[in-house]
Amino acid sequence: MPNVAAGASGQRATSAQIWRRRAIDLASVLVPTVLFALARTVDSNLLLLVSIMVYVVLAQGVNVIYGFTGYLPFGYVGFFGAGAYGAYVAVAHLGANAVEATALGGVAAVLVGVVLIPLLRLRGAYFAIASLAAALALSSIVSNPAVTSVTNGPYGADLTRVFSSGGSYWTAVVIVALAMVSVVALRRSRLGLLLRAVRADQVSASCAGVNVVAARTGAWLLSALLAGLAGAVYAWSISVFYPTAVFDTTISLFAIVFALFGGVGTVLGPVVGAVVLYYVYNAIGVNDPQYFQLIFGVVIVIIALFLPGGLAALALGARRRLGARRGLGGAQPVGGSDVR
Amino acid sequence: MKVHHRLLGLTGVCAAAAGVVAVAATQAQAVHTRVSSKAPKQIIVGTLYSSSGAFAPDSIPELDGIKFWVNQMNKSGGVYVGAFHKKIHVKLVAYNDQSSPTTAATLYSQLITQNHVNIMIPDFGSVLTAPAVAIAQEHHQLLFDATASGTVFFTPNNPYIVGSGIRNSAFWPDPLVQYLVAKHINKVAVLYDANDFDAAQAATINSGLKAHGITPVYYQSTPTTTTTYGTLINSIAATHPQAVIELGYNTNDIPFLNTLTTSGQHFKMVFTVFPGQLPQLFQQDVGTKGLKYTYTYATPPLLPYAKVNLGLNTPQFVRAFRKAFPSVPVTYPAMAGYGTALVAQEALDKAGLFTQLSMRRALANVSGKVTTAIGQFKITKDGAEEGEFLPVGQYLPTRGGTTIKIIYPKSLATATAKYPAPTS
Repeated sequence: MPNVAAGASGQRATSAQIWRRRAIDLASVLVPTVLFALARTVDSNLLLLVSIMVYVVLAQGVNVIYGFTGYLPFGYVGFFGAGAYGAYVAVAHLGANAVEATALGGVAAVLVGVVLIPLLRLRGAYFAIASLAAALALSSIVSNPAVTSVTNGPYGADLTRVFSSGGSYWTAVVIVALAMVSVVALRRSRLGLLLRAVRADQVSASCAGVNVVAARTGAWLLSALLAGLAGAVYAWSISVFYPTAVFDTTISLFAIVFALFGGVGTVLGPVVGAVVLYYVYNAIGVNDPQYFQLIFGVVIVIIALFLPGGLAALALGARRRLGARRGLGGAQPVGGSDVR
Repeated sequence: MKVHHRLLGLTGVCAAAAGVVAVAATQAQAVHTRVSSKAPKQIIVGTLYSSSGAFAPDSIPELDGIKFWVNQMNKSGGVYVGAFHKKIHVKLVAYNDQSSPTTAATLYSQLITQNHVNIMIPDFGSVLTAPAVAIAQEHHQLLFDATASGTVFFTPNNPYIVGSGIRNSAFWPDPLVQYLVAKHINKVAVLYDANDFDAAQAATINSGLKAHGITPVYYQSTPTTTTTYGTLINSIAATHPQAVIELGYNTNDIPFLNTLTTSGQHFKMVFTVFPGQLPQLFQQDVGTKGLKYTYTYATPPLLPYAKVNLGLNTPQFVRAFRKAFPSVPVTYPAMAGYGTALVAQEALDKAGLFTQLSMRRALANVSGKVTTAIGQFKITKDGAEEGEFLPVGQYLPTRGGTTIKIIYPKSLATATAKYPAPTS
């Protein structure tokens, strides 16, 4: 029996290539997870670490929906806020513990995602604007005094009775691992292949028998789940928050920029983007915000003009050049960019 | 199915690795303990401010008020720390959160875990104070709450927060309700923003009026992001109110008043929240025409406290602050920053031990006995400020402009209210 199997790219791969790919996938999940787990030994600011992990998960969520389908969700924060308030409702009304509440936050975001599925009928700028409007509407609903008995309306959410900086930190590590596993699995799965086909040419994919609506819906809900979990663990980590804090559109923008900077459609790109830019933001933005805004703006312009594939594209180019020199050609990058 | 198997395998390996690392990291983490027996070289005051974003107009003056206090202390040889019977130099550490709660959360953590501040004063308002509450409680760090009036902050099981500046906003409109009732104003329209600060005031007005048999003819919330008021003003006008109360932040009050000026509508009484706190900003952005005869809360320095037993009195503070910061107007947030720092000063002075809880106990002991330039310092058993009182003020014409005069209660009034407001 020949030792070959079908890869996600549709080409037949040798056994060695399969094992190499599995090793890369495993490393893609383990390296960020272990590094985040160890980070608290070198940085005692747990909230900073949780924030970075939250942005890593959000950037991966953007990666799933934008990298695999081409839908740019400016209102992505809506899922984040839904997750935060889902966790609050779970604790305040259902008596859930913090871990259960975090999971239910993810479920709440998925439910919101289900309600918003019709948005997928829109494309391009229309989808981006509609998703932003949906997030703002959700924020207004949550903060409306009429729903005070459910969300505590404008008076803010209090999760202090389940507050645990250590607990939220380790849960965030697990969620990062889950996000990494999700992206790796999606990239290697049949669904990932279908999504790439749809993204490349929706009509052709449909004619070839791809269920376009189902494929996009799958990515949309996975993306919602990740944002919901991130929102829930963030809510747990700060414990006292207002609707304006968890429905802040800056959260969407940061997640999108981090994902683009690192490289959408890759596994590690959004992680690198979130970690690098959020640390830069904290190092420069806090004391000299004007410089940060300048740097941030310049970075975005450079990405848009010269590096649409983000840092991952640089790594891919360097690897290809290296492979060409060695006569190997067409080598797969770490974290790969075969999605694009 | 292959993917599923691989997924399960990956998850298992991750979980195992995370578990091993968790144990190792937890054991390795050093436990930070506060040494209170030896006097520190300096008292570190940590705070956040917003140089940009929605809270910048209030946050920057609050920081200036704190800076003013720090400079005063250091000029006099430092702040007196009762536990060591000596004065110690004060160092201010201030980070810029840019009005972002997410950024504020990490910076509060940084102030506590890396700067090891002795006194922590959060940024302006409830939204930016909220991220500090749990982290301060966890690290046993007393939070000197300057300008947040959040209803969820003060709980019986959290001794690590003390209201040092403004009172819970639910109590703010009490004099306003009394004024409306006294004036027999029965048709009241209330438009409020859907946030903690404004909704609490609206609820107080609603219940206060209903207690006197008055049901507001218009009682509506709007998102805090609202800046377009044309339709809302017309809807209010359709109810023919005798008084219109708009409860928002300055970013709401300014467009509301500007839209009202250009809408062609005229109401007998219009009340907004922030003109009394940021009069220079409103004079600049709304102007005399839009402000004339409108009502607002009269806060210090409009409401002066001449008799104080801690720090400068209100007129002295106004003079000294103008001298120290000639380009900065004297506003209520600046005074709240100063007043909060004075409360911290009192805590350091009266605490028998140099610990956060000892400071909190010391403040509970002096509650109701201390008056500063912003009024009486009095806290509930949960630590919420309850000593502050906000009279009703009205913009009345002066030569070439307008000025805010206190019109209610009568014991504090500096002028008589002009009701109904003239049309010109």
